[in-house]
Amino acid sequence: VRGRLIAYGFGATLIGVGGVGLLRDAADTDPAGWLIWFAGAALTHDLLLAPLVLGAALLTGRLPARYRRPVRVSLVLAASVSAVALPMVLGLGRRAGDPSRLPQAYGVDLAVILALIGLAAVLAVAVGAVRRGRSRGLR
Amino acid sequence: MLRRPDPARLIAALGRFASREHDERDQRTAAWLGVALGVSFTVAFVTGLISHFMQHPPGWAVWPSRPVGLYRLTQGAHVIGGLATIPLLLAKLWTVYPKLWQWPPVRSAGHALERALVLPLVAGALFQLVTGLFNIAYFYPFPFFFPAAHYWTAYIVYGALVIHVATEWAKVRGLRASRGGPGARPVGPSRRGFLATVAGACGLVGLTTVGETFTPLGGLALLAPRRPGVGPQRLPVNKTAAAAGVTPDPAWRLAVTGQVTRELSLSLADLRAMPRHVVRLPIACVEGWSAEATWAGVRLRDVLHAAGVDAGAHVRVESLEAGGRYRTSEVDPPHWHDELTLLALNLNGEPLSLDHGYPCRLIAPDRPGVLQTKWIARLVVHRS
Repeated sequence: VRGRLIAYGFGATLIGVGGVGLLRDAADTDPAGWLIWFAGAALTHDLLLAPLVLGAALLTGRLPARYRRPVRVSLVLAASVSAVALPMVLGLGRRAGDPSRLPQAYGVDLAVILALIGLAAVLAVAVGAVRRGRSRGLR
Repeated sequence: MLRRPDPARLIAALGRFASREHDERDQRTAAWLGVALGVSFTVAFVTGLISHFMQHPPGWAVWPSRPVGLYRLTQGAHVIGGLATIPLLLAKLWTVYPKLWQWPPVRSAGHALERALVLPLVAGALFQLVTGLFNIAYFYPFPFFFPAAHYWTAYIVYGALVIHVATEWAKVRGLRASRGGPGARPVGPSRRGFLATVAGACGLVGLTTVGETFTPLGGLALLAPRRPGVGPQRLPVNKTAAAAGVTPDPAWRLAVTGQVTRELSLSLADLRAMPRHVVRLPIACVEGWSAEATWAGVRLRDVLHAAGVDAGAHVRVESLEAGGRYRTSEVDPPHWHDELTLLALNLNGEPLSLDHGYPCRLIAPDRPGVLQTKWIARLVVHRS
């Protein structure tokens, strides 16, 4: 219990340091703008992203069992790399005169990675089918 | 008997609906993800503080100039670790999402406080990862200055995390205690599969980005915002001369002033006539990328000794840039005494290109790239 109280005190202190710092450094942190992004991040996740994932989960739940797992796994992998790649793919940070900044063809790169993930999923389904076929043959 | 109002029934139904597709009652999945997040946010917090205090050193701290690649390592861990945390955080939020719709929303004052503290944790964690990702992609749709907002928000997130861990510690302990014990749920393929998938997603993100700082995997850095060998003289550029408003000046001289025995004004020919040294050092950017290069030039300490300075002196390096937050940088004794710290004139065997700081730039070991001041005009020596 004592350890927990110390942790609560330490945590509250850190939150206080951050909050006071944000307000004192207002010229740089723009507290009103910060709050919009802070709350907006949670709201976007809770009201947009999570329901979308829920929808995908329900849709893939209708798939036959042998497809479900590979499809879900590949969707998780594909969504993760796509989320990280998105700002690069959009390339909004490119600047004329600095070609070393975002130098790659990110759309192509992402497409290659997604294709590889898809290929892995197809292989996983095929391997599963072969295995099932073999175990049926043994019986 | 009280009938629940309709919104409550709706929310309760949504909660049941949300938990149907993943076993939210399985707290062990959430606890394992929580342990991993605790580790990754601790690494991010510590490495972030290191980076912050290297750039804004408090009076009591002296940063060492060795090991040469320390900042490269800490900032690489900060950024690549942060990217790899994106799937991990989303997975954790997915496992606990039904709790958002729990009914009644608040059971007691303590429960209300507990739930209230989840907001800064969730919002702050998402905020840090999203703004960090946008920042390394040079995409600034937000109204605040990224380093300041990211820095202060880190305290809020980590404070909320400490409180959350203290509250949930029993569940983490339960991970070991209940293994195989009575009432323990068997480690089913679904949990193992889910955790393995999440680990795979984190690994895939890391694998396709880490090459921007870990050169042996450079070929795999398909999604990284930088490639170590890509740029003028095979080195990336963060701020171009055009962006800094710097043009080459044939009459350029390096001034050494301040607390010196004799002020110096050195031409490029004067510098080239001094003992020349070649070092292999990385530019290690705060954005997480790093790239090694071969630099040639004059040791900073040779120039300072020629001007006559105290061993404990500090040096402000001033750029030709007209303005900007990083126009000047401070070099403390450990760094200017280091034999690897050069006023570089050459890069990878050629005179510095204008974008890399022609005619003269600073290159020092274990130092953020933004402090490797380019287009040096003056060295101002001072006491503290």
